[in-house]
Amino acid sequence: MPYHEFEVSKCIPERKQHAVVKGPGEDLTSCLPKGYLNTIPGSISERGCAYCGAKHVIGTPMKDVIHLSHGPVGCTYDTWQTKRYISDNNDYQLKYTFASDVKEKHIVFGAEKLLKQNILEAFKAFPEIKRMTIYQTCATALIGDDVDAIAAEVKEELPDVDIFVCNSPGFAGPSQSGGHHKINIAWINQKVGTIEPKITGDYVINYVGEYNIQGDQEIMVDFFKRMGIQVLSTFTGNGSYDDLRTMHGAHLNVLECARSAEYICDELRVRYGIPRLDIDGFGHKALGDSLRKIGLFFGIEDRAEAIIAEETAKWGPELAWYKERLQGKKVCLWPGGSKLWHWAHAIQEEMGVKVVSVYTKFGHQGDMEKGVSRCGEGALAIDDPNELENQEALRNLKPDVIFTGKRPGEVAKKMRVPYLNAHAYHNGPYKGFEGWVRFARDIYNAVYSPMHQLSAIDISKDDYATDKGFVTRRMLSDANLSDEAKASPITGYSGKFDPIAAIRAKTDADYPVYPRRSAAEAAE
Amino acid sequence: MNCQVKVKDRVGTINPIFTCQPAGAQFASIGVKDCIGIVHGGQGCVMFVRLLISQHLKESFEIASSSVHEDGAVFGALDRVETAVDVLLMRYPHVKVVPIITTCSTEVIGDDVDGLITKLEEGLLAEKYAGREVHLLAIHSPSFVGSMVSGYDVAVRDFVKKFAKKGEPSEKINLLTGWVNPGDVKELKHLVSELGVEANVLFEIESFDSPLMPDGTAVSHGNTTIADLEATGSAMHTFALNRYEGGKAAQYLEKKFKIPSTIGPTPIGIRNTDALVKKLSQVTGKPIPASLVKERGIALDAISDVAHMFLADKKVAIYGAADLVIGLAEYCLDLEMRPQLLLLGDDNAGYVNDPRIKALQDNVDYPMEIITNADFWELENRIKNEGLELDLILGHSKGRFISIDYNIPMVRVGFPTYDRAGIYRNPVVGYGGATWLAEQMANALFTDMEHKKNKEWLLNVW
Amino acid sequence: MAKNSKKDVARANYVKLYDHDPLADVDAETRAKVSELENYIMKNCLWQFNSRGWDRRKQNAGVLGKTAQLLVGEEVENPTPLDKCYWVDAVLLARNFTERCGWLAEMGKDEIRPLIDKLHARIDWLTIDGSLNEELTVQNY
Repeated sequence: MPYHEFEVSKCIPERKQHAVVKGPGEDLTSCLPKGYLNTIPGSISERGCAYCGAKHVIGTPMKDVIHLSHGPVGCTYDTWQTKRYISDNNDYQLKYTFASDVKEKHIVFGAEKLLKQNILEAFKAFPEIKRMTIYQTCATALIGDDVDAIAAEVKEELPDVDIFVCNSPGFAGPSQSGGHHKINIAWINQKVGTIEPKITGDYVINYVGEYNIQGDQEIMVDFFKRMGIQVLSTFTGNGSYDDLRTMHGAHLNVLECARSAEYICDELRVRYGIPRLDIDGFGHKALGDSLRKIGLFFGIEDRAEAIIAEETAKWGPELAWYKERLQGKKVCLWPGGSKLWHWAHAIQEEMGVKVVSVYTKFGHQGDMEKGVSRCGEGALAIDDPNELENQEALRNLKPDVIFTGKRPGEVAKKMRVPYLNAHAYHNGPYKGFEGWVRFARDIYNAVYSPMHQLSAIDISKDDYATDKGFVTRRMLSDANLSDEAKASPITGYSGKFDPIAAIRAKTDADYPVYPRRSAAEAAE
Repeated sequence: MNCQVKVKDRVGTINPIFTCQPAGAQFASIGVKDCIGIVHGGQGCVMFVRLLISQHLKESFEIASSSVHEDGAVFGALDRVETAVDVLLMRYPHVKVVPIITTCSTEVIGDDVDGLITKLEEGLLAEKYAGREVHLLAIHSPSFVGSMVSGYDVAVRDFVKKFAKKGEPSEKINLLTGWVNPGDVKELKHLVSELGVEANVLFEIESFDSPLMPDGTAVSHGNTTIADLEATGSAMHTFALNRYEGGKAAQYLEKKFKIPSTIGPTPIGIRNTDALVKKLSQVTGKPIPASLVKERGIALDAISDVAHMFLADKKVAIYGAADLVIGLAEYCLDLEMRPQLLLLGDDNAGYVNDPRIKALQDNVDYPMEIITNADFWELENRIKNEGLELDLILGHSKGRFISIDYNIPMVRVGFPTYDRAGIYRNPVVGYGGATWLAEQMANALFTDMEHKKNKEWLLNVW
Repeated sequence: MAKNSKKDVARANYVKLYDHDPLADVDAETRAKVSELENYIMKNCLWQFNSRGWDRRKQNAGVLGKTAQLLVGEEVENPTPLDKCYWVDAVLLARNFTERCGWLAEMGKDEIRPLIDKLHARIDWLTIDGSLNEELTVQNY
């Protein structure tokens, strides 16, 4: 096994099995780090907890719901306004968060009464919201509050409300991934099948493992609607609580982030016979193939082809413009789980960059299988890199840019490696054909920032020409390009600051109307 | 009485103003040099606080977790702390101070952190790390007590308690700044140095605003040293500028080392800064220099340009840490403004007896509400459903959507202020802070006038 | 109203098919061809990476079985939605293989099927029998 041992981790030898270098001739049977094991205390890992995996990652993107955490205020506060999952419900789920505010006396005497009062208060404050999710936290799980019983009691008293209970305290698993699992299983056990879907079309999907970061979901749903596909529910970005109770009524589960949501797809496949189709919404080829597959499944591939042709004609040239300028730039990928494999191959093929490392915060070995497969020889794969390992890797790999979270991004900045936010994006959305160009644009802007160039200079020592009043990105990126490339009429991304507003402004009249299939056709 | 102090009458929290105690203890810990705290609890208790701090300061700070997982929650998790201390010390050879910060889960489990520290001192430290200076201390900060503010207060006291030593009486004062920004510390250090006073600054966080250096090696960290902490025990006087963020440490020093203390007032605004400067002068016997008279004059000159013309009678709501909120409210009154609603985001029973709040109750001649244990719904509900009209909001970034959704201009103050660039670099305390605040408030109102086309032409001839 | 299925989650076990790399015994040319096809799958596809071994077995058999049928021009039957789902991945795979691997066109049907069988064995080896992923045998999702 081509394990990579970090100097800084020699004293914690168990870490050795968490990093590998993909050498020539290595494959998955010889090259795979360990994953999803308990974190080494004191190692300064970047992992979160199972509560945040359930509440913050998967629960809260549901848009028409009171999200109540049963515990002291901290868990709620900390997982509020640190993500960019927007919704077309005026961002209700982003703006409002609820904590039962457990205090010492409740720890001693129990907090069930407090919880009930909380639920009633919250529904009273927002009379238009009739759905609620409740999340256990460490403190209330340890004192053994029976949240299910309280929820049942309230439902009895308020027949028009519905409540979902997720028992995923922070300690329930090595990372946030434990919470992803718990909420997936809890949702299918408690909620799926409790109301019947309203089927309005012939082709019905659930869009799963998609969290509408900066509008990703809305971009993708727009494609589906242009194809005449009914999106019954989205699990969970911009998703509606009641729609998610009807997941059993779809013909196909279209799965993006398998890391966080494959469990529910697998269960839906076993329990209801709904197939699971894994797709990539990132990258022109991968997204095109994804739309083709969905089209093929329903016998409407031509509709997918029309969209792909239109979109790639529009955005392909700008992507190529960036690719020419990003050729060979070294990239470190340090997302949470799924983006390491969503991006590893696609950015190399379509943006010309070289992925020198793939890290995962909370991924499992399954994610690393995909990641290691999709990156090239020589790439360093690390499971749950800690602070010092990341710094050592950055010093050794000398990447031109790193895609990671906000806090590690600050570490990278100090080491003179520009960062892009892998979780929340810099200026997304990054899904869709246009979004992929936005991603390329953000990479380009980071790599060729004139400020970044200046930060390398020590004015007390370095001799550098001070004859220029400014330098543009083009002066830096085009220096070694051919005259033909330099003469390109393209000047980078041509889209708007916010591409989502235009989608939200669309009405049914803006989408093609396809005739419904006859019963005989449908039976085929 | 026009000014009412009430406790929020709902039991729950809709949009919390504060996070919990461990966050305050963590913020204190990063102010100490060669210190990495271990938060004993789930990983989220650290990861999110590090994120929060990095959102506010746009810098990263090192704090470790004991990573309590399922088995620890069932069988006790002290072994996780043992490993954490060892791993941390092995991998961070510069680390000398390791606070073990507890959380709700480990307090509920009942892990005996104090006992463990004794065990580690006698075992691990004496054997494996013999010859290395390492200090372990327990900071008990269960999340179900108080808030991040009390967590900070407890942590400052615990650091002082751990290190303060009786030494030769010194001319130095202890300056406990409270939970402030690098810009505040810079301003406060400037004030004391103008007076020719030397101070043990808790915490020395000016360095949080750290550079991006060509060699890529700069890191952000606090600069309060073990020597500074030890010296607090022999200081001539303790100034705890914020009653609820350092007050406990001042009381401890007074009781244990008989060091007299001045607790508050928060030096926000000219008047409260004057109080600090006067007291500093009185205690140390150093005269107030002409430079500060001039500086004060420059501030008053700038403030006079905006106060009675633009700020007077403007209705303002203020939320956040009690010392900050009260200090701002006092200053707003000096600026002829009308604070309408003060939201104090935790259930500290001491607030009602705060002399500054008593003074507000005695003197405010219009209806003002002070809500304790408050959440953001106390503000939003009053605007949305009860007709509260405001010209301005003062507070931190977590309240940003109230400002946005109800079209009320807002000046970002306190912690965290991640949705505006560079707020942490500016002071709100001292004469410099008074100027900055008055001008920020005026500019926020000006932008709002233009945005709403509300007498925007007024500024043509200002 | 549909009742929530309380049926236990899948507990399917699967038998080990390979105890060593099935490509170890084949000639260099076949190995090169299989590697090319394998590389495309590993870089571009996700169907082979379901989370559990028993599902991977079904996925590999379903998708690659239908891919073989498509490549040799056999009619593909999709009696269930699950079959159809294998089929769509197979269609894309067959197209991309044909497009990228010119040598496929020169192969006879009787050569293609054993080649895809080898590919199938190799993918089973990489993703199931030789896999280092310790979660493949976990008994629930």
